[in-house]
Amino acid sequence: MIAKRPLIQISILALAVASASFVNGSAVNRNFSESYPSVVCPPTMKGLNSQVSVASSKVQFQNLENRSSKTVPFKSSRYSLTKSSVVIDAKGITPVVWQSKARGWAGGVICAGPASTQWFVGGSSDVTTRGHLLIANSGLSDAIIDIGTFSENGKQPIKSLTLKSKSSTQISLDTLAPGDHLLAVQVTPRSGRVNSFMIDERGAGLRSLGGDFVNAYSSPALDIYIPAVPHQILGNSKKTNTTHTLRILAPGAVDTTFNAEILTTDGRFIPVKLSSRSIQAGRVSEFAFAPDISAKIFAVHVSAQEPVVASIATSITSNGHKDLLWSTGSPALSPMSMAIGGLTPVFAFSGDSISVRITVTFASGKKVSTRLKGTDLVTWRAPDNSRIITIDSTNKKTFAAAIITAADGSGFIPVQPGSALARVEVPNSNIRVLNP
Amino acid sequence: MSVSDKNFVTAILVSHDGGSWLPVVVAALASQTRPIDKVIAVDTGSIDSSIRLLESARISVISAERNCGFGDAVALAVQEIPKQPEGINEWIWLIHDDCAPATSALEKLLEAVEERPQVAMVGPKLLGWHDRTHLLEVGVSIAGNGARWTGLEEFEYDQGQHDGVHDVLTVSTAGALIRREIFEEVGGFDSNLSLFRDDIDFGWRLRVAGHAVLATTEAVAYHAQAATNERRSIDVEGALLHRPRLLDRRNAAYVLLANSSWWMTPWLVIQLLTSALIRSAGFLLAKLPGYAGDEILAIATLIIKPAALINARKERKNKRLVSARVVSTYIPPRWSQTKNTFVELTGSIRSKLIPVNEVASISVLQSLEEDEDLLVPTKNRQWIEILRKPEAAGYLLLTVITLIASHNRFGALLGGALPAAQNSAHELWNTYFESWHQVGLGSSHATPAWVPIVAIMSAFTFGKLPVFISLFFLIAPLLIMWSAHRLLQKFSNNSFITIPASFLYAMSPVAIASTNSGRFATIVILILAPQIPRFTSNWKLIELNSWRKIYSIALFLALCGAFSLVVTVISLGVIAPAIYVDYRAFKQDSNKELFLSRIYRRLTILIAPFLILAPYSFEALVKPARFFAEPGLAISGGSIGQVLFANPGGAGSIPWWLVSPVLLVLLVSLFTSSSARLISQYGISLISAAVISSTLAISFHGNSDQVTVWTGTFLAVATLCATVSGVIILDRIRGVLVISNIHYRHILAALLLAFAAIYGLTSTAWAVTAGADSPLRSGHSTVMPAFLAAEPHTKILVLREINYEGKKRIEFYVSRGTDIFLGEPDVAPGQIQEIETAAQQLIDGSGITSSKTLAAFGIKYVFVKKPFNSSIVQTIDGLGGFSRTSATSLGVVWRVSGAVGRLVFTSLDGSQRVLQSSEPGAPITVPGAGTLTLSESFDRSWQVLENGYRLPRAINAQGLPQFDVREAGEIIVLHDGTVRRAWLSFQIIAFTVAFVMVLPAGRRRKEIAEEELA
Repeated sequence: MIAKRPLIQISILALAVASASFVNGSAVNRNFSESYPSVVCPPTMKGLNSQVSVASSKVQFQNLENRSSKTVPFKSSRYSLTKSSVVIDAKGITPVVWQSKARGWAGGVICAGPASTQWFVGGSSDVTTRGHLLIANSGLSDAIIDIGTFSENGKQPIKSLTLKSKSSTQISLDTLAPGDHLLAVQVTPRSGRVNSFMIDERGAGLRSLGGDFVNAYSSPALDIYIPAVPHQILGNSKKTNTTHTLRILAPGAVDTTFNAEILTTDGRFIPVKLSSRSIQAGRVSEFAFAPDISAKIFAVHVSAQEPVVASIATSITSNGHKDLLWSTGSPALSPMSMAIGGLTPVFAFSGDSISVRITVTFASGKKVSTRLKGTDLVTWRAPDNSRIITIDSTNKKTFAAAIITAADGSGFIPVQPGSALARVEVPNSNIRVLNP
Repeated sequence: MSVSDKNFVTAILVSHDGGSWLPVVVAALASQTRPIDKVIAVDTGSIDSSIRLLESARISVISAERNCGFGDAVALAVQEIPKQPEGINEWIWLIHDDCAPATSALEKLLEAVEERPQVAMVGPKLLGWHDRTHLLEVGVSIAGNGARWTGLEEFEYDQGQHDGVHDVLTVSTAGALIRREIFEEVGGFDSNLSLFRDDIDFGWRLRVAGHAVLATTEAVAYHAQAATNERRSIDVEGALLHRPRLLDRRNAAYVLLANSSWWMTPWLVIQLLTSALIRSAGFLLAKLPGYAGDEILAIATLIIKPAALINARKERKNKRLVSARVVSTYIPPRWSQTKNTFVELTGSIRSKLIPVNEVASISVLQSLEEDEDLLVPTKNRQWIEILRKPEAAGYLLLTVITLIASHNRFGALLGGALPAAQNSAHELWNTYFESWHQVGLGSSHATPAWVPIVAIMSAFTFGKLPVFISLFFLIAPLLIMWSAHRLLQKFSNNSFITIPASFLYAMSPVAIASTNSGRFATIVILILAPQIPRFTSNWKLIELNSWRKIYSIALFLALCGAFSLVVTVISLGVIAPAIYVDYRAFKQDSNKELFLSRIYRRLTILIAPFLILAPYSFEALVKPARFFAEPGLAISGGSIGQVLFANPGGAGSIPWWLVSPVLLVLLVSLFTSSSARLISQYGISLISAAVISSTLAISFHGNSDQVTVWTGTFLAVATLCATVSGVIILDRIRGVLVISNIHYRHILAALLLAFAAIYGLTSTAWAVTAGADSPLRSGHSTVMPAFLAAEPHTKILVLREINYEGKKRIEFYVSRGTDIFLGEPDVAPGQIQEIETAAQQLIDGSGITSSKTLAAFGIKYVFVKKPFNSSIVQTIDGLGGFSRTSATSLGVVWRVSGAVGRLVFTSLDGSQRVLQSSEPGAPITVPGAGTLTLSESFDRSWQVLENGYRLPRAINAQGLPQFDVREAGEIIVLHDGTVRRAWLSFQIIAFTVAFVMVLPAGRRRKEIAEEELA
């Protein structure tokens, strides 16, 4: 009996371990709530036409300034917007707004969820400007917003404004840094559900010099990919390349140098003017360049030693009148969907190794998938009657944007989700939060 | 009649069942060097051989009633003594039947009064009957509290230190020589003092009549003090219940009150009452309730019959020639009584703590060494020699390691399971006593018993809790090692084994994890666990243990259980099988008495701690998760794999690859033939229990999430078992290995040692490097902004991202404006579903009605603690019903819209109004009829009083208390603490009973051997 005891003890221990392993489960229950935040489209300024492309006619929306929280369906997949900004329950398919001014300019922008901070690299406060900064507060509480402006003369004093709940406002760009030519604007909401948009419209007297939406960055970065810059070859007999202007800002406290590499379907190179250029911290700089390339679209990869924000302005001629187009950086491509009904964009994908699978949903509901492969730059025109394009899969470090050309001008749209799936963990009640 | 000089001495021998001593007494009387002129005996109804003995000694005997007092008996004898002619000094010599005078006693007494005509009474030095060096009395007096005052120490050895002739207040009647005429002049002994204190009263009366009383040490008598020592029954008239102490105390009070000045009487009454109460308490503590009752009854019997006292004062007034204050010089000053009590008390404690080694082994050789020392030049001790001692080196090494490992823990501590400590113990006491805890939405949960223990212990740091907690964690490893070493010394005399083993115990996985994660309860268990073997001797034959020891075990388990209630589960796991074994034995031998004796003892050990820990322990029966809940914040324990190797896991624990030798040692010990085998069986059982427990996930202490049970308590004891087993094995095997050739035992021992050494080195290295970056650390940061505390009792929903095992999680809780402090998580309520939903919808942006829900629960603000995902802030901004009030470096605050407050009055027309009160319990005015909603969790003790009447109470849809207000007026909102007070009383009573039972029991005098007393 005594000799058996150790074995009994060991058996008990083994049994305990075995049964414990069998019944053991995770003690930590993590529950998540998933939803797409509503996206906000820009208000329509006087004299502009505005249409929004949505996934279907059943998509719900409400005018921003409607005090009721009720939403109604669009009843159309391409909807003409009036003055008010709209809040759309887009369910993950990013709506695109196309605004135009007859024989003036045209531009596109994605409708997006509220952002914690937005950087706009574009616009001017000089005598040519007719641009505006549009700010919408879609929240039910008042918003306090800080507007920081950088120009070629450095950082301007921050302007703060309070915006009532469910309202929008427009600020003329010439009030941000009066007289300065080169603007970069940072909009930081201290409170509120805030979206902002920038329209850079230029004119000389009664003559329009074009305009465009300046799409926003969420934050400065060391590497910026501008996936689509339109390139026009002027004149048929004597080739004259379009001049592009790279506007760049290092908002930090340290000066930096940067390289801007041009990626085309034929390869990549760094123009001499954009190689190892120094820029002063806090001052907006511009560098003009006119690459001698045959492609109609190219991409630019800006790499710097300090975080920067950058955009490229391109002056193009469309239907006999001049238009301005701002190409901005895009985040790395990820699976997403974008509503492009009524538009026929040309998509440009850039990266070292491109492999993107796209599904096109036509107005009829039919879906067609295709895979794009290549290096450096691949362009692809969406078929007519496309309603939604879906990025099903993509390689890492691939960047995309779309160039849309219409009768009144051209516009640039970064291919990025307007509202990412918000996967919020259901919070637990735990007194630990009160322990420092 | 023989007259040898001018003195005529009549010895009056009073006997009452004195057969045991009378032969010696009679012989002593017969052998006096100065013969006694006459001997008269008075027998007060003896039922033993006293009369026969006296008659056989040819002593004339006067028979009296059995209830005849000593004074009356003497009076009977005096009446029988014929008057002597003029010029003869007549003396009466009072002899007790238990008092034998030395042969020269009478001669010396007479010599003392020869030249002192003013002396009315003279007494001998009284020595013990058996121990004739034990000095009993050299004169006697009375203290202000009625105590008989001899001025001697207890059991004072007579070596002539008090020799001489002393002018005293009085002498004992045992052996007292009294002038007959003065005896008759003052009226003899007071018949109200039939026994005890009659001598003091008589001496006092002699003094105020202008006479003197002497004690001469030349004369000696040996006294058995039979009545005082309860060697015979007290049958005198008026002796209630025949209790000597009762009669003694009553008579003492009588003497004081009958003889003292009037103006002293009130003071004396107070003093007598106070001292009676104090002595009663003392006797209760010594488990002598009879004596305690005597003290109170003595005063009571005197007070309810004041007539005797008044008459006595009248009589004394008539015969008083000098002021009563003349005796004041003989009354001991109060300081001397206090000093004497203090000396006795400290002596008693000292003798308990430092028992005198009665076997003094001073040999001849040692005396020679002393001589040698004088010749040998003194050598300076080298420090290195001290360090060579394993004890010094071990403790020093652990101190250094602890200091390095604690470099982030110098200052006020918090983190892990430990909340910040309150600034003072006073605040911790409040947590213990309050009936309603202002935590979250409030709770009336019972506060665990560790709270008052920590509050009491913080007295070491003058009530500064943060200092105490920091010091505790700093010295904890040393205390753990010291405690373990004390135990291990009983298993091995080899310090080279016990010190490293103690060191490893202090550096065990459970010790490191407990320290790093702020689990002070497990540390307390680690310190206390090595004391368990002190109590577990005679576990099988538990009937051999005294009740005092049984209650010691119960109290010890209650102390452990106060910190870790799982101890009661372990107790059940040990006691239940023991009872089964007892039952089997009973079935075999049918010894019911033995069986019951064992059962009662085992059940006491099981149940008494449970009662002492009530009501917290009772609540655990309803919420069994509490049995496994450690004090402080609910954080997760480890996985099965970790627990199997005695690592409790969780935050701050050693990494999985650092495997301790605990399991290996226990497994090896199972196959030994020593006591290590039995110990290791307990260890393996505890590890098995820990493994099973680690599969449990419980929700407790204000955490709605389920966390894996912390198995620290199981593993602490298992680790101790392994340590003890290891020491036993090594101690036994060492001798065998030295003399034997290399075989498997050498390899096994080497493996064990190598494993232990590798663990010791690696765990130490980890503890001072990565381990030092523990969750528990010093810090002064706060969660809540100060301005939110400005509005007292305001509820704030706090949202915060918490780093949980490398992942961030969003958690929330309702604050009362401040951070949490020690003890509060233990009484924190669980969260309410509506608030959980509202918080969830705040985060995901769907909370259109969140503000209304929060307002209904009186939550006035929402505070998002930084750092936080900015999208959450935007989401709340985007919701209606919240207006941002501030955004600081600490976080963002929104105010919840609507009428939000602790007390919301809803009038009959539906309009709401917040009622403000300056402080809880302050009167508030209600404007009219309506409904009053209190935004505290519902509890039956919530009451609202209006004009002295309770308003009807109901529970609203949110589960909050609601009261119907019928008219305008002033109301008072209060939480009735009667239930809490009742539970506190119960706990105090249970503790006091157990504590008194643990105290050393006093012995009634009759239980003490005569030889010991006199």
